[in-house]
Amino acid sequence: MQGIHLNDVHVHFDHPSGITIAVDGVTQQVPPRSFVSIVGPSGCGKSTLLAVIAGLQPATSGSVDVNGRRVTGPDRDIGVVFQEDSTLPWRNVRENVEFAMQMAGVSKGERAAKAAAAIELVGLKGFEHSYPATLSGGMRQRVALARTLALQPGVVLMDEPFAALDQQTRIFLGAEVRRIWEQTHQTVLFVTHDISEAILLSQQIWVMSYRPGHVIDVIDIDLPDERDASIVSSPRFNELHNRVWASLQKESMRGFQDVETA
Amino acid sequence: MTRLTKLRESQFAGAAVVALVASAIWQVSSGLSFVIPSPAATAEAFVQNFADPRYLSDIGETAQAVAQAFVIGTVLGGAIGLLLGLSAAARTWLEPLLIAFNGVPKIVLYPVLLPIFSLGGSKIVMGVLFALFPVLINVAVGVRTIPPVYWKLGRTVQASKWQLFVHILLPAIRLPLLTGVRLAISLAVVGVVLSEFFATRFGLGRVVLQAYSHGEYAQMVSTILLLILVAFTMSVLLWRLERRVR
Repeated sequence: MQGIHLNDVHVHFDHPSGITIAVDGVTQQVPPRSFVSIVGPSGCGKSTLLAVIAGLQPATSGSVDVNGRRVTGPDRDIGVVFQEDSTLPWRNVRENVEFAMQMAGVSKGERAAKAAAAIELVGLKGFEHSYPATLSGGMRQRVALARTLALQPGVVLMDEPFAALDQQTRIFLGAEVRRIWEQTHQTVLFVTHDISEAILLSQQIWVMSYRPGHVIDVIDIDLPDERDASIVSSPRFNELHNRVWASLQKESMRGFQDVETA
Repeated sequence: MTRLTKLRESQFAGAAVVALVASAIWQVSSGLSFVIPSPAATAEAFVQNFADPRYLSDIGETAQAVAQAFVIGTVLGGAIGLLLGLSAAARTWLEPLLIAFNGVPKIVLYPVLLPIFSLGGSKIVMGVLFALFPVLINVAVGVRTIPPVYWKLGRTVQASKWQLFVHILLPAIRLPLLTGVRLAISLAVVGVVLSEFFATRFGLGRVVLQAYSHGEYAQMVSTILLLILVAFTMSVLLWRLERRVR
């Protein structure tokens, strides 16, 4: 049972004014070595679902299996790239990339070799000794990506890693992630609210509904494997975009009305 | 580079000018009243003091008490600050109490400490009370303001508690911690010497007080200058370290 298997995952949050159902029975799977994105409006529980898979958030009911193992807590075989800047300002690029390996007790020599490879992979060669304060937001996310990839986890989870970046950097980095994935072919689950980003990157898209969050549509992206940022202007890309947008539109409106009337 | 050098030079020049002007004013005012010793007489007393074994043992006594107060105060303040920073419960229970206690002029407790810790111990305890709070407050605030994503990162890479402490917490609070330590050194000196002013058999505070009651003003001022000089030097050194740390 390789890949990610979600079996009727529910997540409820209790608070004084009642219960919020963040994830409402998601049963899906990410096939091994494939790239799947979750798109959905803000507050649809997509990040919560990712946190459950990462072992950071317990599911209220249901189960998650990653590469045949039941998820009960964080696991180094499950790499996570966060939305927030998670580079450590007191470590330079190389030391940041080595962080996860260092915590895992990887030997110094192996760390150095793997860090160098990961830094090259994300296109940061020459910046090994720079500190995060001197890097742009996009470069810092590359550092975070390299840190995750260097540990060579079985699956990589990305929680809106480019959400805080400007549009151009975002598209560019999206294409970079695609290029990297074509080299590594790791199992990736990518969360975003950006449809173009999801289509550009993925082989499959799950559309999630506003609360209670569940997967309302699964769309296979039949674009060629070899793609770059120029694909966004192709007719097929547009069709797919419209398809995802149609699913999402009803949901976004519902979320919007919910907020308006709340 | 040249601008930086220039700035440093001018900073040094500025300090030199201030020192010169201050000495001139001191010289002039010493002529006005016998209670103000001249700079020359003070300097002479300053040098002569170091030939006096009794004086040297007073320096040793004070230095030892300050060092002990500083170490205990920093460790204790760091531990309580850590507790306050990490535990919401500890915050609710202890914080109001600590803030109130920090507002109390601690020296009023000295007579209470004396019978408990005796002469030698009381000034160390007083030094601890002075040194404690800057470390405590800086560490507590530093820990509380660590970005949550650092902890999330630590969890996903399955860092142990010790690894979190050494590789996330300590480096993340390095700047406020250094600020706290710098203030703790100065305040440990204040706590100890202040206590020695009130009641003690040994130490520089006693020297100052005795010189005062004997009318040996050159001796008094030279010892005060020594205290200022030591506290100032340590502060400057730590301040420079603070600026070098990223």
